[in-house]
Amino acid sequence: MTDRLRFIWPPILIGVLVLAAWQAIVVVQDIQPYLLPAPSLIAQNFFGDVSLMWGTAIYTATTAFLGLVLGTIVGVIMAFLAQRFIVVNNLITPLAAGLAAVPIIALTPILNNMFSITSRTPRVLVTMIIVFFPMLVNVTRGLVQVQPVQLELMRSMNAKPRTVLRILRVPNAIPFFFTGLKIAAPLSVIAALVAEYFGGPQEGLGSRIASSAANTAYGRAWAYVVAAIITGLVFYLVTIALERWTTPWADRSRSA
Amino acid sequence: MTDATQTAVLAEGVWKIFNEGQLGEVTALQDIDMTVQTGEFVSLIGPSGCGKSTLLRVIADLTEATRGEMTVAGVTPHEARQKQLYGMAFQQAALFEWRTVRRNVELPLELMGWSKDKRRERALELLEMVQLSDFAEHRPWQLSGGMQQRVAIARSLAVDPPLLLMDEPFGALDEMTRERMQNELLRIRRETGKSIVFVTHSIPEAVYLSDRVVVMSPRPGRITDIVPVPLGADRDEDTRESDDFFHAVTAVREALRGRVGGAEARARIGEV
Ligand SMILES: Nc1ncnc2c1ncn2[C@@H]1O[C@H](COP(=O)(O)OP(=O)(O)O)[C@@H](O)[C@H]1O
Ligand SMILES: [Mg+2]
Repeated sequence: MTDRLRFIWPPILIGVLVLAAWQAIVVVQDIQPYLLPAPSLIAQNFFGDVSLMWGTAIYTATTAFLGLVLGTIVGVIMAFLAQRFIVVNNLITPLAAGLAAVPIIALTPILNNMFSITSRTPRVLVTMIIVFFPMLVNVTRGLVQVQPVQLELMRSMNAKPRTVLRILRVPNAIPFFFTGLKIAAPLSVIAALVAEYFGGPQEGLGSRIASSAANTAYGRAWAYVVAAIITGLVFYLVTIALERWTTPWADRSRSA
Repeated sequence: MTDATQTAVLAEGVWKIFNEGQLGEVTALQDIDMTVQTGEFVSLIGPSGCGKSTLLRVIADLTEATRGEMTVAGVTPHEARQKQLYGMAFQQAALFEWRTVRRNVELPLELMGWSKDKRRERALELLEMVQLSDFAEHRPWQLSGGMQQRVAIARSLAVDPPLLLMDEPFGALDEMTRERMQNELLRIRRETGKSIVFVTHSIPEAVYLSDRVVVMSPRPGRITDIVPVPLGADRDEDTRESDDFFHAVTAVREALRGRVGGAEARARIGEV
Protein backbone atom coordinates (compact mmCIF):
# COMPACT_ATOMS: atom_id res chain seq x y z
CA MET A 1 0.00 0.00 0.00
CA THR A 2 2.76 2.45 0.93
CA ASP A 3 4.42 1.39 -2.33
CA ARG A 4 1.37 2.39 -4.27
CA LEU A 5 1.15 5.73 -2.45
CA ARG A 6 4.75 6.45 -3.35
CA PHE A 7 3.81 6.00 -7.00
CA ILE A 8 0.65 8.09 -6.80
CA TRP A 9 1.93 11.12 -4.87
CA PRO A 10 4.58 12.55 -7.20
CA PRO A 11 2.28 12.97 -10.25
CA ILE A 12 -0.46 14.49 -8.05
CA LEU A 13 2.01 16.91 -6.52
CA ILE A 14 3.35 17.91 -9.91
CA GLY A 15 -0.21 18.31 -11.23
CA VAL A 16 -1.14 20.62 -8.36
CA LEU A 17 2.02 22.68 -8.81
CA VAL A 18 1.41 23.06 -12.54
CA LEU A 19 -2.21 24.13 -11.95
CA ALA A 20 -1.09 26.67 -9.33
CA ALA A 21 1.57 28.09 -11.66
CA TRP A 22 -0.95 28.20 -14.51
CA GLN A 23 -3.47 30.07 -12.34
CA ALA A 24 -0.79 32.49 -11.13
CA ILE A 25 0.46 33.27 -14.64
CA VAL A 26 -3.06 33.87 -16.00
CA VAL A 27 -3.93 36.20 -13.11
CA VAL A 28 -0.63 38.08 -12.92
CA GLN A 29 -0.19 38.51 -16.67
CA ASP A 30 -3.93 39.16 -17.15
CA ILE A 31 -4.16 36.66 -20.04
CA GLN A 32 -7.46 36.68 -21.93
CA PRO A 33 -9.64 33.52 -21.75
CA TYR A 34 -9.62 33.00 -25.55
CA LEU A 35 -5.84 32.57 -25.29
CA LEU A 36 -5.73 30.59 -22.07
CA PRO A 37 -8.52 30.44 -19.48
CA ALA A 38 -7.53 30.09 -15.82
CA PRO A 39 -7.96 26.68 -14.17
CA SER A 40 -10.47 28.27 -11.81
CA LEU A 41 -12.65 29.31 -14.77
CA ILE A 42 -12.47 25.84 -16.29
CA ALA A 43 -13.33 24.26 -12.93
CA GLN A 44 -16.23 26.65 -12.50
CA ASN A 45 -17.66 25.57 -15.87
CA PHE A 46 -16.94 21.90 -15.27
CA PHE A 47 -18.53 21.70 -11.82
CA GLY A 48 -21.18 24.31 -12.69
CA ASP A 49 -23.14 21.68 -14.64
CA VAL A 50 -21.68 18.28 -13.90
CA SER A 51 -24.76 16.46 -15.19
CA LEU A 52 -24.39 18.21 -18.57
CA MET A 53 -20.70 17.25 -18.67
CA TRP A 54 -21.63 13.67 -17.78
CA GLY A 55 -24.39 13.41 -20.41
CA THR A 56 -22.19 14.90 -23.12
CA ALA A 57 -19.29 12.61 -22.27
CA ILE A 58 -21.61 9.58 -22.21
CA TYR A 59 -22.73 10.32 -25.78
CA THR A 60 -19.15 10.36 -27.08
CA ALA A 61 -18.14 7.43 -24.89
CA THR A 62 -21.03 5.39 -26.31
CA THR A 63 -19.89 6.12 -29.87
CA ALA A 64 -16.32 5.25 -28.92
CA PHE A 65 -17.36 2.05 -27.16
CA LEU A 66 -19.50 0.81 -30.06
CA GLY A 67 -16.71 1.59 -32.53
CA LEU A 68 -14.16 -0.05 -30.24
CA VAL A 69 -16.16 -3.26 -29.85
CA LEU A 70 -17.03 -3.56 -33.55
CA GLY A 71 -13.51 -2.63 -34.73
CA THR A 72 -12.01 -5.13 -32.30
CA ILE A 73 -14.32 -7.91 -33.45
CA VAL A 74 -13.57 -7.29 -37.12
CA GLY A 75 -9.84 -6.89 -36.44
CA VAL A 76 -9.65 -10.14 -34.48
CA ILE A 77 -11.61 -12.09 -37.11
CA MET A 78 -9.37 -10.74 -39.86
CA ALA A 79 -6.28 -11.65 -37.79
CA PHE A 80 -7.47 -15.27 -37.53
CA LEU A 81 -8.05 -15.38 -41.28
CA ALA A 82 -4.65 -13.78 -41.94
CA GLN A 83 -3.00 -16.38 -39.72
CA ARG A 84 -4.83 -19.25 -41.40
CA PHE A 85 -4.60 -18.26 -45.05
CA ILE A 86 -1.47 -16.72 -46.45
CA VAL A 87 -3.55 -15.44 -49.40
CA VAL A 88 -5.78 -13.50 -47.03
CA ASN A 89 -2.72 -12.22 -45.20
CA ASN A 90 -1.16 -10.96 -48.43
CA LEU A 91 -4.45 -9.31 -49.29
CA ILE A 92 -5.27 -7.80 -45.90
CA THR A 93 -1.89 -6.45 -44.87
CA PRO A 94 -1.46 -3.93 -47.72
CA LEU A 95 -5.17 -3.12 -47.54
CA ALA A 96 -5.01 -2.47 -43.82
CA ALA A 97 -1.83 -0.44 -44.21
CA GLY A 98 -3.51 1.57 -46.97
CA LEU A 99 -6.53 2.18 -44.77
CA ALA A 100 -4.25 3.33 -41.95
CA ALA A 101 -2.65 5.89 -44.23
CA VAL A 102 -6.01 7.40 -45.28
CA PRO A 103 -7.21 10.16 -42.94
CA ILE A 104 -10.38 8.21 -42.23
CA ILE A 105 -11.89 11.02 -40.19
CA ALA A 106 -11.98 13.10 -43.37
CA LEU A 107 -14.53 10.64 -44.70
CA THR A 108 -17.02 11.60 -42.01
CA PRO A 109 -18.86 14.29 -44.01
CA ILE A 110 -19.30 11.82 -46.89
CA LEU A 111 -20.57 9.11 -44.55
CA ASN A 112 -22.85 11.67 -42.92
CA ASN A 113 -24.59 12.10 -46.27
CA MET A 114 -25.28 8.38 -46.46
CA PHE A 115 -27.18 8.26 -43.17
CA SER A 116 -29.88 10.37 -41.56
CA ILE A 117 -28.83 13.69 -40.01
CA THR A 118 -29.50 12.44 -36.47
CA SER A 119 -27.64 9.18 -36.93
CA ARG A 120 -24.69 8.15 -34.80
CA THR A 121 -23.74 5.46 -37.34
CA PRO A 122 -21.18 7.45 -39.41
CA ARG A 123 -19.22 8.26 -36.24
CA VAL A 124 -19.30 4.65 -35.09
CA LEU A 125 -18.11 3.52 -38.53
CA VAL A 126 -15.21 5.96 -38.51
CA THR A 127 -14.19 4.88 -35.01
CA MET A 128 -14.48 1.25 -35.98
CA ILE A 129 -12.19 1.64 -39.00
CA ILE A 130 -9.61 3.43 -36.87
CA VAL A 131 -9.73 0.80 -34.12
CA PHE A 132 -9.58 -2.07 -36.61
CA PHE A 133 -6.00 -1.45 -37.70
CA PRO A 134 -4.04 -1.68 -34.42
CA MET A 135 -6.15 -4.68 -33.41
CA LEU A 136 -5.52 -6.54 -36.68
CA VAL A 137 -1.78 -5.87 -36.66
CA ASN A 138 -1.22 -6.84 -33.03
CA VAL A 139 -3.45 -9.91 -32.90
CA THR A 140 -1.97 -11.26 -36.15
CA ARG A 141 1.48 -10.80 -34.70
CA GLY A 142 0.47 -12.68 -31.55
CA LEU A 143 -1.00 -15.59 -33.51
CA VAL A 144 2.01 -15.87 -35.82
CA GLN A 145 4.93 -15.07 -33.54
CA VAL A 146 5.13 -18.23 -31.48
CA GLN A 147 8.52 -19.68 -30.62
CA PRO A 148 9.61 -22.14 -33.34
CA VAL A 149 10.61 -24.58 -30.61
CA GLN A 150 7.07 -24.49 -29.22
CA LEU A 151 5.73 -25.35 -32.67
CA GLU A 152 8.19 -28.25 -32.93
CA LEU A 153 7.09 -29.44 -29.53
CA MET A 154 3.42 -29.34 -30.54
CA ARG A 155 4.24 -31.26 -33.70
CA SER A 156 6.25 -33.83 -31.76
CA MET A 157 3.15 -34.34 -29.63
CA ASN A 158 1.17 -34.95 -32.82
CA ALA A 159 -1.01 -31.84 -32.48
CA LYS A 160 -3.21 -30.87 -35.45
CA PRO A 161 -3.18 -27.24 -36.68
CA ARG A 162 -6.51 -26.57 -34.95
CA THR A 163 -5.10 -27.82 -31.68
CA VAL A 164 -1.99 -25.69 -32.14
CA LEU A 165 -4.28 -22.70 -32.64
CA ARG A 166 -6.24 -23.39 -29.47
CA ILE A 167 -3.42 -24.52 -27.19
CA LEU A 168 -0.57 -22.33 -28.40
CA ARG A 169 -1.46 -19.50 -30.78
CA VAL A 170 -4.53 -18.05 -29.08
CA PRO A 171 -3.04 -17.88 -25.55
CA ASN A 172 0.15 -16.51 -27.09
CA ALA A 173 -1.87 -13.75 -28.79
CA ILE A 174 -3.68 -12.52 -25.67
CA PRO A 175 -0.93 -10.16 -24.44
CA PHE A 176 -0.65 -8.86 -28.03
CA PHE A 177 -4.43 -8.35 -28.07
CA PHE A 178 -4.10 -6.11 -25.04
CA THR A 179 -1.16 -4.23 -26.55
CA GLY A 180 -3.52 -3.45 -29.43
CA LEU A 181 -6.40 -2.60 -27.14
CA LYS A 182 -4.29 -0.22 -25.07
CA ILE A 183 -3.63 1.74 -28.27
CA ALA A 184 -7.15 1.33 -29.67
CA ALA A 185 -9.18 2.26 -26.55
CA PRO A 186 -7.95 5.86 -26.09
CA LEU A 187 -7.81 6.19 -29.88
CA SER A 188 -11.50 5.29 -30.11
CA VAL A 189 -12.38 8.24 -27.85
CA ILE A 190 -10.31 10.61 -29.97
CA ALA A 191 -11.87 9.25 -33.17
CA ALA A 192 -15.44 9.51 -31.84
CA LEU A 193 -14.79 13.05 -30.64
CA VAL A 194 -13.09 14.35 -33.76
CA ALA A 195 -15.75 12.74 -35.99
CA GLU A 196 -18.26 15.06 -34.27
CA TYR A 197 -16.45 18.10 -35.72
CA PHE A 198 -17.63 17.12 -39.22
CA GLY A 199 -21.38 17.68 -38.96
CA GLY A 200 -24.09 15.32 -37.86
CA PRO A 201 -26.07 15.56 -34.57
CA GLN A 202 -24.99 18.39 -32.25
CA GLU A 203 -24.27 16.00 -29.42
CA GLY A 204 -21.12 14.83 -27.74
CA LEU A 205 -17.89 16.41 -26.53
CA GLY A 206 -16.55 17.24 -30.00
CA SER A 207 -19.67 19.10 -31.08
CA ARG A 208 -19.83 20.99 -27.79
CA ILE A 209 -16.17 21.97 -27.78
CA ALA A 210 -16.63 23.37 -31.29
CA SER A 211 -19.86 25.23 -30.50
CA SER A 212 -18.62 26.61 -27.15
CA ALA A 213 -15.48 27.95 -28.81
CA ALA A 214 -17.57 29.48 -31.60
CA ASN A 215 -19.72 31.21 -28.94
CA THR A 216 -16.62 32.56 -27.16
CA ALA A 217 -17.45 30.39 -24.11
CA TYR A 218 -13.80 29.43 -23.70
CA GLY A 219 -14.09 28.27 -20.11
CA ARG A 220 -16.85 25.92 -21.13
CA ALA A 221 -14.95 24.66 -24.19
CA TRP A 222 -12.03 23.80 -21.94
CA ALA A 223 -14.29 22.12 -19.44
CA TYR A 224 -15.41 19.78 -22.23
CA VAL A 225 -11.77 19.17 -23.09
CA VAL A 226 -11.23 18.13 -19.48
CA ALA A 227 -14.21 15.78 -19.75
CA ALA A 228 -12.70 14.33 -22.94
CA ILE A 229 -9.37 13.72 -21.20
CA ILE A 230 -11.15 11.97 -18.35
CA THR A 231 -13.13 9.82 -20.80
CA GLY A 232 -9.97 8.74 -22.64
CA LEU A 233 -8.27 7.99 -19.34
CA VAL A 234 -11.22 5.85 -18.19
CA PHE A 235 -11.09 3.83 -21.42
CA TYR A 236 -7.37 3.27 -20.93
CA LEU A 237 -7.60 2.33 -17.27
CA VAL A 238 -10.47 -0.10 -17.87
CA THR A 239 -8.33 -1.78 -20.54
CA ILE A 240 -5.43 -2.11 -18.14
CA ALA A 241 -7.67 -3.54 -15.43
CA LEU A 242 -9.07 -6.04 -17.92
CA GLU A 243 -5.55 -7.00 -18.94
CA ARG A 244 -4.39 -7.66 -15.39
CA TRP A 245 -7.47 -9.69 -14.71
CA THR A 246 -7.21 -11.93 -17.77
CA THR A 247 -3.44 -12.39 -18.14
CA PRO A 248 -2.04 -12.97 -14.68
CA TRP A 249 0.97 -14.81 -16.21
CA ALA A 250 2.20 -11.55 -17.68
CA ASP A 251 2.78 -10.29 -14.12
CA ARG A 252 6.48 -10.88 -14.58
CA SER A 253 6.91 -8.11 -17.10
CA ARG A 254 4.80 -5.75 -14.99
CA SER A 255 6.56 -6.30 -11.68
CA ALA A 256 9.96 -6.05 -13.37
CA MET B 1 19.88 -56.71 -40.86
CA THR B 2 19.20 -56.00 -37.22
CA ASP B 3 15.91 -57.15 -35.77
CA ALA B 4 13.80 -54.00 -35.77
CA THR B 5 11.74 -54.93 -32.72
CA GLN B 6 14.87 -55.09 -30.54
CA THR B 7 15.97 -51.63 -31.52
CA ALA B 8 14.76 -48.25 -30.35
CA VAL B 9 16.15 -46.51 -33.42
CA LEU B 10 17.47 -48.00 -36.63
CA ALA B 11 18.88 -45.83 -39.41
CA GLU B 12 20.03 -47.36 -42.66
CA GLY B 13 21.64 -45.20 -45.32
CA VAL B 14 19.77 -42.06 -44.20
CA TRP B 15 20.42 -38.87 -46.16
CA LYS B 16 18.98 -35.43 -45.58
CA ILE B 17 19.49 -32.87 -48.29
CA PHE B 18 17.82 -29.49 -47.81
CA ASN B 19 16.67 -27.69 -50.99
CA GLU B 20 17.81 -30.58 -53.18
CA GLY B 21 18.55 -29.48 -56.74
CA GLN B 22 18.00 -25.85 -55.81
CA LEU B 23 20.32 -22.96 -55.22
CA GLY B 24 20.80 -23.33 -51.46
CA GLU B 25 21.32 -27.10 -51.48
CA VAL B 26 22.73 -28.36 -48.16
CA THR B 27 23.63 -31.96 -47.47
CA ALA B 28 22.98 -32.12 -43.73
CA LEU B 29 23.15 -35.92 -43.34
CA GLN B 30 25.14 -38.29 -45.51
CA ASP B 31 24.57 -42.04 -45.47
CA ILE B 32 23.82 -42.43 -41.76
CA ASP B 33 23.81 -45.97 -40.38
CA MET B 34 23.01 -46.12 -36.70
CA THR B 35 21.40 -48.45 -34.19
CA VAL B 36 20.15 -47.61 -30.74
CA GLN B 37 19.28 -50.74 -28.77
CA THR B 38 16.25 -50.74 -26.53
CA GLY B 39 17.26 -49.33 -23.16
CA GLU B 40 20.50 -47.90 -24.51
CA PHE B 41 21.78 -44.34 -23.96
CA VAL B 42 23.41 -42.98 -27.12
CA SER B 43 24.85 -39.48 -27.51
CA LEU B 44 25.37 -37.65 -30.77
CA ILE B 45 28.37 -35.37 -30.69
CA GLY B 46 30.02 -33.19 -33.29
CA PRO B 47 30.78 -29.57 -34.16
CA SER B 48 27.83 -27.24 -34.50
CA GLY B 49 26.11 -27.43 -37.88
CA CYS B 50 27.13 -31.06 -38.43
CA GLY B 51 23.54 -32.28 -38.51
CA LYS B 52 22.92 -33.56 -34.97
CA SER B 53 19.60 -31.77 -34.63
CA THR B 54 18.64 -32.77 -38.15
CA LEU B 55 19.23 -36.44 -37.35
CA LEU B 56 17.13 -36.13 -34.20
CA ARG B 57 14.41 -34.36 -36.17
CA VAL B 58 14.34 -37.14 -38.76
CA ILE B 59 13.92 -39.69 -35.95
CA ALA B 60 11.08 -37.57 -34.51
CA ASP B 61 9.35 -37.12 -37.89
CA LEU B 62 9.73 -33.36 -37.61
CA THR B 63 11.41 -33.54 -40.99
CA GLU B 64 11.62 -36.34 -43.55
CA ALA B 65 14.74 -38.20 -44.68
CA THR B 66 15.58 -37.53 -48.32
CA ARG B 67 16.78 -41.12 -48.78
CA GLY B 68 17.24 -44.19 -46.63
CA GLU B 69 15.27 -46.09 -44.02
CA MET B 70 14.51 -44.91 -40.52
CA THR B 71 12.75 -47.14 -38.02
CA VAL B 72 11.65 -46.05 -34.54
CA ALA B 73 10.59 -48.78 -32.11
CA GLY B 74 9.89 -51.03 -35.09
CA VAL B 75 7.67 -48.58 -37.00
CA THR B 76 8.13 -45.56 -39.26
CA PRO B 77 8.93 -42.22 -37.59
CA HIS B 78 5.51 -40.97 -38.68
CA GLU B 79 3.74 -43.82 -36.95
CA ALA B 80 5.98 -43.42 -33.91
CA ARG B 81 4.96 -39.77 -33.67
CA GLN B 82 1.27 -40.55 -34.07
CA LYS B 83 1.46 -43.25 -31.41
CA GLN B 84 3.59 -40.99 -29.20
CA LEU B 85 6.34 -43.58 -28.89
CA TYR B 86 8.88 -40.89 -28.04
CA GLY B 87 9.09 -37.81 -25.83
CA MET B 88 11.18 -34.82 -26.76
CA ALA B 89 13.16 -32.13 -24.94
CA PHE B 90 15.02 -29.19 -26.43
CA GLN B 91 17.69 -26.71 -25.38
CA GLN B 92 14.95 -24.22 -24.59
CA ALA B 93 12.51 -25.60 -22.06
CA ALA B 94 9.67 -24.37 -24.33
CA LEU B 95 7.20 -24.13 -21.46
CA PHE B 96 3.92 -22.30 -21.99
CA GLU B 97 4.04 -19.35 -19.64
CA TRP B 98 0.26 -19.07 -19.36
CA ARG B 99 0.13 -22.56 -17.88
CA THR B 100 1.24 -23.55 -14.41
CA VAL B 101 4.13 -26.00 -14.08
CA ARG B 102 1.68 -28.85 -13.50
CA ARG B 103 -0.45 -27.97 -16.51
CA ASN B 104 2.68 -27.82 -18.67
CA VAL B 105 3.49 -31.38 -17.69
CA GLU B 106 -0.14 -32.35 -18.39
CA LEU B 107 -0.01 -30.98 -21.94
CA PRO B 108 0.88 -34.22 -23.82
CA LEU B 109 -1.78 -36.08 -21.82
CA GLU B 110 -4.35 -33.39 -22.59
CA LEU B 111 -3.59 -33.79 -26.30
CA MET B 112 -4.12 -37.54 -25.95
CA GLY B 113 -7.50 -36.96 -24.34
CA TRP B 114 -6.78 -38.08 -20.79
CA SER B 115 -9.36 -37.08 -18.17
CA LYS B 116 -8.60 -34.15 -15.90
CA ASP B 117 -8.13 -36.23 -12.76
CA LYS B 118 -5.85 -38.78 -14.38
CA ARG B 119 -3.79 -36.02 -15.95
CA ARG B 120 -3.34 -34.31 -12.67
CA GLU B 121 -2.39 -37.47 -10.87
CA ARG B 122 0.19 -38.40 -13.50
CA ALA B 123 1.67 -34.89 -13.62
CA LEU B 124 2.10 -34.77 -9.84
CA GLU B 125 3.78 -38.17 -9.96
CA LEU B 126 6.22 -36.89 -12.60
CA LEU B 127 6.89 -33.67 -10.72
CA GLU B 128 7.79 -35.77 -7.72
CA MET B 129 10.23 -37.71 -9.87
CA VAL B 130 11.99 -34.51 -10.95
CA GLN B 131 11.74 -33.20 -7.36
CA LEU B 132 9.51 -30.24 -8.15
CA SER B 133 6.39 -31.21 -6.21
CA ASP B 134 6.45 -27.92 -4.33
CA PHE B 135 6.34 -25.95 -7.57
CA ALA B 136 3.34 -27.61 -9.23
CA GLU B 137 1.20 -24.47 -9.11
CA HIS B 138 4.01 -22.02 -9.87
CA ARG B 139 4.39 -20.26 -13.19
CA PRO B 140 7.32 -21.34 -15.40
CA TRP B 141 9.08 -17.98 -15.14
CA GLN B 142 9.22 -18.28 -11.37
CA LEU B 143 11.62 -21.21 -11.81
CA SER B 144 15.37 -21.24 -12.48
CA GLY B 145 16.69 -22.47 -15.83
CA GLY B 146 17.58 -25.87 -14.39
CA MET B 147 14.15 -26.27 -12.80
CA GLN B 148 12.44 -25.30 -16.06
CA GLN B 149 14.45 -27.94 -17.87
CA ARG B 150 13.36 -30.52 -15.28
CA VAL B 151 9.75 -29.57 -16.01
CA ALA B 152 10.45 -30.08 -19.73
CA ILE B 153 11.89 -33.52 -18.98
CA ALA B 154 8.88 -34.42 -16.85
CA ARG B 155 6.66 -33.34 -19.75
CA SER B 156 8.65 -35.50 -22.20
CA LEU B 157 8.05 -38.48 -19.90
CA ALA B 158 4.33 -37.81 -19.44
CA VAL B 159 2.90 -40.38 -21.85
CA ASP B 160 5.54 -42.88 -20.69
CA PRO B 161 7.13 -43.28 -24.14
CA PRO B 162 9.86 -45.95 -24.55
CA LEU B 163 12.20 -43.44 -26.22
CA LEU B 164 13.48 -40.00 -25.23
CA LEU B 165 14.95 -37.60 -27.80
CA MET B 166 16.93 -34.77 -26.23
CA ASP B 167 18.54 -31.94 -28.19
CA GLU B 168 21.17 -30.25 -26.01
CA PRO B 169 18.73 -30.04 -23.10
CA PHE B 170 21.43 -28.80 -20.70
CA GLY B 171 23.18 -26.59 -23.25
CA ALA B 172 22.03 -23.32 -21.70
CA LEU B 173 22.78 -24.24 -18.07
CA ASP B 174 25.82 -23.34 -15.98
CA GLU B 175 28.37 -26.06 -15.29
CA MET B 176 27.22 -26.87 -11.72
CA THR B 177 23.56 -27.10 -12.62
CA ARG B 178 24.48 -29.07 -15.68
CA GLU B 179 26.32 -31.77 -13.73
CA ARG B 180 23.46 -32.01 -11.26
CA MET B 181 21.02 -32.40 -14.14
CA GLN B 182 23.18 -35.13 -15.65
CA ASN B 183 22.96 -37.08 -12.39
CA GLU B 184 19.19 -36.55 -12.35
CA LEU B 185 18.88 -37.82 -15.90
CA LEU B 186 20.90 -40.95 -15.10
CA ARG B 187 18.69 -41.57 -12.07
CA ILE B 188 15.52 -41.12 -14.14
CA ARG B 189 16.93 -43.45 -16.74
CA ARG B 190 17.66 -46.10 -14.10
CA GLU B 191 14.13 -45.71 -12.71
CA THR B 192 12.35 -45.81 -16.07
CA GLY B 193 14.61 -47.88 -18.37
CA LYS B 194 14.05 -45.53 -21.31
CA SER B 195 16.08 -45.60 -24.49
CA ILE B 196 17.67 -42.20 -24.94
CA VAL B 197 19.19 -40.35 -27.89
CA PHE B 198 20.98 -37.30 -26.54
CA VAL B 199 22.53 -34.51 -28.60
CA THR B 200 25.37 -32.55 -27.02
CA HIS B 201 28.58 -30.80 -27.91
CA SER B 202 30.17 -31.40 -24.54
CA ILE B 203 32.58 -34.35 -24.55
CA PRO B 204 32.50 -35.01 -20.76
CA GLU B 205 28.70 -34.84 -20.81
CA ALA B 206 28.46 -37.36 -23.66
CA VAL B 207 30.90 -39.72 -21.92
CA TYR B 208 29.34 -39.43 -18.48
CA LEU B 209 25.82 -40.18 -19.71
CA SER B 210 26.21 -42.62 -22.59
CA ASP B 211 26.70 -46.27 -23.33
CA ARG B 212 27.97 -45.27 -26.75
CA VAL B 213 28.99 -41.93 -28.26
CA VAL B 214 28.27 -41.38 -31.94
CA VAL B 215 30.83 -38.98 -33.38
CA MET B 216 29.81 -36.90 -36.39
CA SER B 217 31.95 -34.91 -38.82
CA PRO B 218 31.33 -31.36 -40.00
CA ARG B 219 29.21 -30.86 -43.10
CA PRO B 220 28.17 -33.00 -44.77
CA GLY B 221 27.23 -34.75 -41.52
CA ARG B 222 28.56 -38.28 -41.47
CA ILE B 223 29.14 -40.69 -38.65
CA THR B 224 32.90 -40.97 -38.42
CA ASP B 225 33.14 -43.10 -35.33
CA ILE B 226 31.15 -44.78 -32.59
CA VAL B 227 32.96 -44.84 -29.24
CA PRO B 228 31.76 -47.28 -26.57
CA VAL B 229 31.89 -46.05 -22.97
CA PRO B 230 32.60 -48.98 -20.63
CA LEU B 231 31.82 -47.20 -17.38
CA GLY B 232 29.05 -49.54 -16.27
CA ALA B 233 25.53 -48.67 -15.21
CA ASP B 234 26.23 -47.11 -11.82
CA ARG B 235 27.86 -43.76 -12.34
CA ASP B 236 28.28 -40.99 -9.80
CA GLU B 237 30.47 -37.98 -9.08
CA ASP B 238 33.49 -40.27 -8.51
CA THR B 239 33.11 -41.63 -12.03
CA ARG B 240 34.01 -38.20 -13.39
CA GLU B 241 37.41 -38.45 -11.74
CA SER B 242 38.20 -42.04 -12.68
CA ASP B 243 40.87 -43.11 -15.17
CA ASP B 244 38.29 -44.93 -17.29
CA PHE B 245 36.32 -41.69 -17.63
CA PHE B 246 39.43 -39.79 -18.61
CA HIS B 247 40.37 -42.40 -21.19
CA ALA B 248 36.90 -42.40 -22.71
CA VAL B 249 36.97 -38.61 -22.91
CA THR B 250 40.30 -38.82 -24.71
CA ALA B 251 38.96 -41.44 -27.11
CA VAL B 252 36.01 -39.23 -28.05
CA ARG B 253 38.27 -36.21 -28.38
CA GLU B 254 40.60 -38.07 -30.71
CA ALA B 255 37.68 -39.32 -32.75
CA LEU B 256 36.42 -35.75 -33.07
CA ARG B 257 39.86 -34.65 -34.24
CA GLY B 258 39.54 -37.17 -37.02
CA ARG B 259 42.05 -39.73 -35.77
CA VAL B 260 40.39 -42.75 -37.26
CA GLY B 261 39.35 -45.03 -34.47
CA GLY B 262 41.40 -43.14 -31.90
CA ALA B 263 43.13 -46.51 -31.64
CA GLU B 264 45.55 -45.75 -28.85
CA ALA B 265 43.01 -44.25 -26.49
CA ARG B 266 40.61 -47.05 -27.27
CA ALA B 267 43.14 -49.65 -26.36
CA ARG B 268 43.26 -47.96 -22.98
CA ILE B 269 39.53 -48.15 -22.42
CA GLY B 270 39.91 -51.85 -23.12
CA GLU B 271 38.16 -52.12 -26.45
CA VAL B 272 40.32 -53.39 -29.38
N1 LIG C 1 15.39 -26.14 -42.66
C1 LIG C 1 16.65 -26.07 -43.13
N2 LIG C 1 16.88 -25.60 -44.39
C2 LIG C 1 18.15 -25.54 -44.88
N3 LIG C 1 19.24 -25.93 -44.21
C3 LIG C 1 19.08 -26.39 -42.97
C4 LIG C 1 17.78 -26.49 -42.36
N4 LIG C 1 17.92 -27.00 -41.11
C5 LIG C 1 19.25 -27.21 -40.95
N5 LIG C 1 19.94 -26.84 -42.04
C6 LIG C 1 21.40 -26.95 -42.24
O1 LIG C 1 21.77 -28.28 -41.98
C7 LIG C 1 23.01 -28.32 -41.28
C8 LIG C 1 22.87 -29.10 -40.01
O2 LIG C 1 22.09 -28.36 -39.08
P1 LIG C 1 21.77 -28.90 -37.62
O3 LIG C 1 21.23 -30.27 -37.73
O4 LIG C 1 20.92 -27.89 -36.95
O5 LIG C 1 23.21 -28.92 -36.94
P2 LIG C 1 23.62 -29.15 -35.42
O6 LIG C 1 22.40 -29.48 -34.64
O7 LIG C 1 24.62 -30.27 -35.46
O8 LIG C 1 24.28 -27.90 -34.97
C9 LIG C 1 23.43 -26.89 -41.06
O9 LIG C 1 24.37 -26.54 -42.05
C10 LIG C 1 22.16 -26.11 -41.24
O10 LIG C 1 22.43 -24.83 -41.76
MG1 LIG D 1 21.50 -28.39 -33.04
